[in-house]
Amino acid sequence: MKIFRILIKYEWLNFRADKGLLILTALTLFAGLYGIYYGTTEIERQRENIAALDVLTEHNVEEMKVKFLGDADAGDIGYYHSTFAVNHPDSWASLSLGQRDVNPYYLKLRLLNLQSQLYDTENINPLKVLSGNFDLAFVLVYLFPLLIIGLCFNILSAEKEQGTLPLLLSQPISLPLVVGAKLTFRMMLVLGLALLLSVVAMVWGQVVPDVRIGIWLGVVLLYCLFWFGVAFLVAALQKNSAFNAVTLLGVWLLLTIIIPALLNVYVAVKQPVPQALELTIKQREVVHAGWDKPKRETMNKFFAHYPQWTDTTEIQGRFAWRWYYAFQHLGDVAVEDLARDYQESLQARHQLVAQLNVLSVPVNVQGIFNAMAGSDLPSHLAFLQSASRYHDSLREYYYPFLFNQVAFTHADYDGEPRHSFTSSPDFATAYSGLVKLVVSVLLVYAVALLLFRVKEASVK
Amino acid sequence: MVKSIAKKEFVSTLRDSRFVALSVIVLLLLLAATIVGLHSYKTLQAERDTAQETVNDQFVSAADRHPHRMAHYGSYAFRPKSSISFLDFGMDSYTGASVYMEAHRQNSANFSQAQQSSSLIRFGEMTVAFVLQMLIPLLIIFLCFGAFTQEKETGTLKILLSQGISLRQMAWAKIAGYSKVVALVVAPALALASLLLFGRGGFELGGDVVIRLLLFMLFYLVYFFIFIVLSVVVSALHQRSSTALVTLLGIWILFCVITPKAAANLGANLYTTPTKAQMEADVHEEVAKGIDGHNSQDERAEALKQELLEKYNVETLEELPVNFDGILMALGEEQSSHVFQEHFDELTGTFEKQNSISEYVGLLNPYLAVRHLSMGMAGSDFSHFIHFQKMAEQYRYNQSQKLNHIQATQLKYGDKETRLSSETWKDFTPFTYETPPAGWALGNHLLSLGAMLLWLVLVSTVGIRLIDKTKVA
Amino acid sequence: MEFVLEAKQLSKVYQDKLALKGLNLQIRAGEIFCLLGQNGAGKSTTINLFLGFITPTSGAAYINGLEVARNVTEVKKYLAYIPENVMLYPNLTGLENLALFSSLAGFDYSKEELMEYLVRSGLPAEAASRRVGGYSKGMRQKVGIAIAVAKHAKVLLLDEPTSGLDPKASNEFSELLLRLSDAGTGIFMATHDIFRSKEVGTRVGIMREGELVDVLPAADLEANELEKLYLNHMHI
Repeated sequence: MKIFRILIKYEWLNFRADKGLLILTALTLFAGLYGIYYGTTEIERQRENIAALDVLTEHNVEEMKVKFLGDADAGDIGYYHSTFAVNHPDSWASLSLGQRDVNPYYLKLRLLNLQSQLYDTENINPLKVLSGNFDLAFVLVYLFPLLIIGLCFNILSAEKEQGTLPLLLSQPISLPLVVGAKLTFRMMLVLGLALLLSVVAMVWGQVVPDVRIGIWLGVVLLYCLFWFGVAFLVAALQKNSAFNAVTLLGVWLLLTIIIPALLNVYVAVKQPVPQALELTIKQREVVHAGWDKPKRETMNKFFAHYPQWTDTTEIQGRFAWRWYYAFQHLGDVAVEDLARDYQESLQARHQLVAQLNVLSVPVNVQGIFNAMAGSDLPSHLAFLQSASRYHDSLREYYYPFLFNQVAFTHADYDGEPRHSFTSSPDFATAYSGLVKLVVSVLLVYAVALLLFRVKEASVK
Repeated sequence: MVKSIAKKEFVSTLRDSRFVALSVIVLLLLLAATIVGLHSYKTLQAERDTAQETVNDQFVSAADRHPHRMAHYGSYAFRPKSSISFLDFGMDSYTGASVYMEAHRQNSANFSQAQQSSSLIRFGEMTVAFVLQMLIPLLIIFLCFGAFTQEKETGTLKILLSQGISLRQMAWAKIAGYSKVVALVVAPALALASLLLFGRGGFELGGDVVIRLLLFMLFYLVYFFIFIVLSVVVSALHQRSSTALVTLLGIWILFCVITPKAAANLGANLYTTPTKAQMEADVHEEVAKGIDGHNSQDERAEALKQELLEKYNVETLEELPVNFDGILMALGEEQSSHVFQEHFDELTGTFEKQNSISEYVGLLNPYLAVRHLSMGMAGSDFSHFIHFQKMAEQYRYNQSQKLNHIQATQLKYGDKETRLSSETWKDFTPFTYETPPAGWALGNHLLSLGAMLLWLVLVSTVGIRLIDKTKVA
Repeated sequence: MEFVLEAKQLSKVYQDKLALKGLNLQIRAGEIFCLLGQNGAGKSTTINLFLGFITPTSGAAYINGLEVARNVTEVKKYLAYIPENVMLYPNLTGLENLALFSSLAGFDYSKEELMEYLVRSGLPAEAASRRVGGYSKGMRQKVGIAIAVAKHAKVLLLDEPTSGLDPKASNEFSELLLRLSDAGTGIFMATHDIFRSKEVGTRVGIMREGELVDVLPAADLEANELEKLYLNHMHI
């Protein structure tokens, strides 16, 4: 044990004296801090934008009150008045932004047909979303493996290449002890850095302290251990530094870029989502056909869904709001199956990825991070469902006014339901990902140890 | 002598089984990416073609309707994929595929590929451009890192130099040899891509597509050349192969992984994007109250009314020979489109400012320069997307105004009942989209083009001059 | 425990090549054994076998009575080794390098003591606190000697230790070896240097194609006689 400490002390001395390694470590630290800054600013901006929506809604209500000074027809209000369905970020979202920049985090809703409003997009700079987020998850998933590779690619080969190994091994110490000490030193450094950054991010982002602190730190720890295992495995091949560097970078490239890109192709082919365009076209067709259909027919169809309004008066004349909103809603009913199909296909896509991510540890870990931060596709789909339910409740709020032909007064704005949805973590995905991660780590170390056994240690 | 060194590099590289294995992998990936790209292109294009045809048919065969109802019925613009976008998806996966075009409203482009994917898509897509931009440089690094260091380590450098060849000549000879090797890896894939493009892909054999494809290839060749020279120079400046390799890999990571993301993120942090909700509220406000707070919607309507009454010298709107509803609607459309356009341009301007950070960083990073140029040529960059949106908006505006005009001329004031015959809609030309010419695409990327040329000049002058400094002993 | 270093029918085969053929050898405490031979004769193989860096194909090597192959780590407590070209950690100073290796060997010297070892090995005091990256080969060699001396081992294994040293340093080195031998260290030195072998050696062995072909007491020989004998063995 004393020898171990001595070895670690000299690893530190060597590390301290190596400018290249210091720069690499400092760069990673800096990148991590920038990632934390970026993630928190981005989420803060989303929070501010969401808060500003309340102001817009209030503004809109004021405008309505001016436009309709006295009692108003609820149909007019439903048409001109808009509210927002909002998807508040989870407190952990700043650590892993996931798809929160691609998918809109609020929807402007009117009482009209829902399906024509549900898929509107936010103002997005495509180059920015193409380039992706420089958040802490990116630093941990992409850059930490590179730091580990940079620190470990010549863990043994450097000793051979600079010729110090014979002298070192002429001391009463064994090779595994030397490699173990070197790995331990690097692990302490990297894990220290990774855990420090994670804790900083948690404090900075003011996360809700729950079981996720443990999961996050555990995942970070295991993920780093996985890459150390890979480095250990390559070191066990006992090749020169250049070979190790190319091999390790090759593994990194394979796991973080090539396999995910191939998986993407596979998922797109295996689980296509053709419904979107069909949905948008059909929805328009049905809604607009509503104008041309006999009103009685439309109303009867509507009453089948809402029998409680059946007894309301017959529609007279060219236009009545309750008829208008009835066929708007029937538009949604007509594409219900398609819409469900569409969302289920998206969910199935996500499920497929969750199955396939055993092929790439980084994809798995990114998935765990996003699941914990509630920033991936399922959480967006949950938001869409919540927004749909909100739309239902809006309709149900307005229907008594429309069908009982009650005037909508200024006081009635306050009674209108408001929407709030907060992305919630997906623990099931996180836990199953964690299990897969543990298996991957064990597998790598088992293979590496086996290789070390099989390969005779050579000094030169 | 230079020729014989170039030949030596070429031959000995081809005999290096590890390099050959890597090249075969890269080549296979390149071919796979070509086929995958084409498949995805065809699927998406067919989907959008079908959708576009469907909505076009629906419009011309729509029932008898009141013109304003038809204006609200509207149409859709489905963005066709540019024919060589199968080589570089660029931003296409992140931009919406369909725009619903109706009266009074400018809708967003919806249903992007990225919104239909889980976060897996953020790891990147398997495209030809990805292989060319990221993997070939890595292959080049692997090929060239030992260019000089190996000669130093084995001591052959001194022997070569004692034969009367200069370091610079040697550098050029090596560059020539390596260029040939890279060409051998890349050429089959590019040839296949061209064949697929022109052979039987069912593409239009437009001259413009040829120019785009040729420029696309040219930019990549320059990019590879820059990487070859850079790698040879770095090798010359190092004493040991392993340190040269590590330096080059570090450069690669910085160029291809870290700076592109950092630059795009920095841009977005520096220039705040307004939310769509805020933008719509602002547009609404300005349309209602007038751009400068004067001349509100109601005042404008009143002024128009007075103007028309005076012009036709009548007392009431009913007496007008034209339909005031249609004219007022046309005026409203004109006003709101104008205001929207201003805000849209402002938004586009913000995005362009954000993106300019990436373009300027291209001066420091040839990867970014080639990425912009590549997307530009493939028609999958920001400008092409905005161009499509503008075309869609233009079509929407014209269609609405044409319908307003019909209402103004064929219907009476206050008439909300009359339905025009379905024949009327056959007069409308459906939405078609033409990709702008190659020259236009290139013009959007002059900065990146400059960055590329700057790099080319820098590595071949300053870089080669640095080689003279290499320590022989 | 009569012999500090011993080989019994020690053989090593690399692929098909027989690198060492049935070496039998005993070295006592205080003895200096010089092994002469051409490049590739098997000298380094012999040393690597004693160091446990390679495992014998048959036979056994013993250090201080312990079989090397079965006590790879243990035997290193009793031996010190100076390679032909001493390579050290370039980012550490000479003093730090010595401190590292001594502490690994279980010694806890003070800074003054370490300095003393370095200076006694011929390294200028001012050089000791500079980084090894800037050292000449001779300076590194002296640090290597200090490392070996500071270990106070029973056996000293030397692989061409004087190559690259200037004549003065070589002489100093010879004196050092004699001092160590007086103190009871058994020394095994592989070398090309016939004259120095004669000068310091207790016995001189000649190795050819993996075989120890002759062992002579150095004191019985004149230098030119040894050279003649050596050349004879090489050219038969």
